Amino acid sequence: MLLLPTTLWFLLLLVMPLVVIAVYSLGERAPAGGYQPALTLAQYANLLARLKAFTNTLTLAPLGTVICIVIAYPFAYYLAVKAGRGAKPFLLTLVIIPFWTSFLIRTYAWIYILGGQGIPRLLEMIGIEDYRLIYTPTAVLIGIVYGYLPLMVLPIYVSLEKLDKSLLEVSSDLGANPVRTFFQVTLPLSAPGLVTGSLLVFILLMGEYLIPALLGGGKVYFVGNALVDLFLQSRNWPFGSAVAITLVGIMLAAITLYLTLVGRDRGRQDVSVL
Amino acid sequence: MRLYAAAVYLFLYGPIALIVLFSFNAGRHAASFECCATSWYSLTFNNTFLIEALLNSLLIAGTTAVLATIMGTMASLALQRVKGVLRLVFDALTYIAIIIPGIVIGIATLVALVTVFDILNPLIAKLWPSDGNAMALGLGYGSVIAAHTLFTMALVIIIVRARIQGMDRSLIEASADLYATPWATFRQVTFPQIFPAVMSGFLLSFTFSFDDFIIAFFVAGPKTTLPIYVFASIRRGITPETNVIATTVLAVSLTLLITAQFLLRSRAPKAGGKG
Amino acid sequence: MSRKNDDTAPISAKKFMDELWRYKQGSVSRRHFLSVTGLGMATAAMAGAMPMLAVSRSAYAGSIGDRVSMATWPNYFNPANFETFKKDFGAEVQVSVFGSNEEMLAKLQAGGTGWDVFVPTNYTISTYVELDLIQPLDLSRLPNFAEKYYTKRFIEPGTVDGKVYAVPKNWGTTGFVLNRKKVTSNPTTWKEFWDLSKTSATGRVMVHDYQLTTIGNALKYFGYSFNSVDPKELADAEKLLLDVKPHLFAINSDYQPSMRSGDAWMSVAWTGDGLQLNRDIPEIDYVLGKEGGELWSDFYAIPKGAPHLDAAYAFINFLIDPEINAKEVSVHGYPVPDTRTTELLPKEMTQNPIMYPAKELLDALEFGAAVTLTDPLRAEIMARFKAA
Repeated sequence: MLLLPTTLWFLLLLVMPLVVIAVYSLGERAPAGGYQPALTLAQYANLLARLKAFTNTLTLAPLGTVICIVIAYPFAYYLAVKAGRGAKPFLLTLVIIPFWTSFLIRTYAWIYILGGQGIPRLLEMIGIEDYRLIYTPTAVLIGIVYGYLPLMVLPIYVSLEKLDKSLLEVSSDLGANPVRTFFQVTLPLSAPGLVTGSLLVFILLMGEYLIPALLGGGKVYFVGNALVDLFLQSRNWPFGSAVAITLVGIMLAAITLYLTLVGRDRGRQDVSVL
Repeated sequence: MRLYAAAVYLFLYGPIALIVLFSFNAGRHAASFECCATSWYSLTFNNTFLIEALLNSLLIAGTTAVLATIMGTMASLALQRVKGVLRLVFDALTYIAIIIPGIVIGIATLVALVTVFDILNPLIAKLWPSDGNAMALGLGYGSVIAAHTLFTMALVIIIVRARIQGMDRSLIEASADLYATPWATFRQVTFPQIFPAVMSGFLLSFTFSFDDFIIAFFVAGPKTTLPIYVFASIRRGITPETNVIATTVLAVSLTLLITAQFLLRSRAPKAGGKG
Repeated sequence: MSRKNDDTAPISAKKFMDELWRYKQGSVSRRHFLSVTGLGMATAAMAGAMPMLAVSRSAYAGSIGDRVSMATWPNYFNPANFETFKKDFGAEVQVSVFGSNEEMLAKLQAGGTGWDVFVPTNYTISTYVELDLIQPLDLSRLPNFAEKYYTKRFIEPGTVDGKVYAVPKNWGTTGFVLNRKKVTSNPTTWKEFWDLSKTSATGRVMVHDYQLTTIGNALKYFGYSFNSVDPKELADAEKLLLDVKPHLFAINSDYQPSMRSGDAWMSVAWTGDGLQLNRDIPEIDYVLGKEGGELWSDFYAIPKGAPHLDAAYAFINFLIDPEINAKEVSVHGYPVPDTRTTELLPKEMTQNPIMYPAKELLDALEFGAAVTLTDPLRAEIMARFKAA
């Protein structure tokens, strides 16, 4: 009984739409755009025409995730272990605030900073002329790191926070040097946070549209941008559906693989940390 | 280490500060800065469409959060007793709802709804014939709320179930032993224990819905939400007005955040699930 | 939610929760039922039931409603006229801008745009009629429109099967803008435009996010028709575009910000943007490719299902009033096919070669053809070009 609303929701808004686009992906584009029934694999055969979008996404999404980890980990470590007790809640709130504020606007700010009047102008002052930053993969990567950093920091922070500080002391009492303590005690114990954080960021990046749209200038193109163009410009619903189904397939495979590698239970449990 | 943390904070807040600063630009073109004017503010605050977009977003996010929290919590409680295939199917669906990118949800929902409406609308027209303004199903608040609720409900299920798993079961058993009705057990034992998780779910759902652009972009039909409005004004050109809108949106989310923190703290001192 | 609010909570939160709650009690049960059964996506009636909007609604005084929503192109209107319209008619104007006719069409095809007025280009109107997305105009409600003042060739595409669906807004050309300080050679053809983008202007050239002009002007490189749908000719154009792609600064129909900031040096451009840029930054010039290219006219039209029909008519009629129209032109710099308006324009505009190019340049231009809008190959080539 209690499951009824959720079941209905899943059926009508998850299963049905996915079935509809699966069916559409086997159809043809109507003459003026849209869908007309057919039974063909032509749309899937055409997927290679969007290969670049897939390879862009599949390189920049993991790369962005890794950069986020690299920047977020020491920061989260500082917050959890080094920061003074009194300052901690305040420092933490400062991380959470961007997470709660408009993603769109935070990305928009970088149009200024990376545009001709921003960083390139500063570079001009020190003699580097005509340096272009906006609408490059670098710009998109900066946007990605900026947008998703808080999302990486929080889970890592939570798992480091849970970490029993006496363990660290024991480790160093036993003569382990700090590097060894880090790799043998701290890192393994904070793994759940790392897994959660990287999953969250990776999932969101795979479907990213806004950052490449605003900072990529139509040149750094993700699958998300291909989808928007297919539905809102070329009006090719069947091909768009095929691209969407393929994206979901790749994600399911990638995530299952990842979770199997890092240990399924640990990963699953930890999604709840957020 | 401390220096590093300071650098990260600078990275996080520099761009936001810039937007706020530029919203006081006196020039017409946003590329150059002339200090300082608030004239853009009065123009923005009198903008019917901006205010309507804000109210739409609050309505959609509020309804989404309420629906997702209630239905998600109900499902989490029910799932305690569900085993076997049904449980597996449910887990898989929850998992899929979480990982499917918003853009795919948006597109699939749009395509499915347009298809369903195309079938249902002629039927409705036949069943309730009317002249001129025919009753017809279309995209709008309902479709955005429905699509947002899908994702956020799955989120609530995961959060609340994690809490239920960590719950002290002996209390529930004790309560049953003392002949409390299931409802009384729920109200007096279960609910207080899962409340922090429910509240976190509510807040996350609200934030997600309030901030979502891509799903609404596809399924909002004629309705404008705040992110859609901001996106449209970025497309119209980067003017000081866009910066004012951005600053206003920042102020609104900050107010909501502080309010939420306040409510959380005064209700359940240890409810800060997100830290 | 059902618990009472904390007394210490700030007023704004309380008010918000109260209003939400009130709204919920008012109508959620019906909607909830409808959406749970999968039937009910909230209809327009919902808007009326929304207590939160009561404030802004009660404020309107005029008889045409308090708002009108228009879909148009970037940098293509005078905001001051919207203020006047609001003062005179009590309706606020909302503008959404689009980068291509395809995008407008896609939105309309997906249903429920909420637009009252939109601005289609000449060659698209017959398709809108075919797809039943546009309504015929009741000319008695547009007293400012009088055929005799308009140039015939710019008015014709608005009439399909003897019915008038659209009235002319502006006409113009598609050429390119260039920053003469940065691009020192003197390109006068599309061939030079594309060659420069691959060489000395690499990384500094923009093209529209719009198949008609981007593919069309690539076709001109080979001397083909701007409107070609011939697969062989299109293949040549695609090859050129893919060659150029790594050298482009961006693909975007709103190129003014990047031209102004100096990020971009050259861009495919429309008349008015050329004039606006040239007016503010004299080193930016507007050039028509000698091989030809596009001549176009845009129209005001009303989509099927426009929610504020009265406001739509009032707004179009207001905008084609010669005096108002002249104020539009003075800001956006696109010529008008209405002689009454042209007479009101200052000399420096009517003699401006950007607005009114030499006859031999104009004669080489083509109107866009309806087939390009729906041609699947052109759509796919554009998408492949962007995805490359």
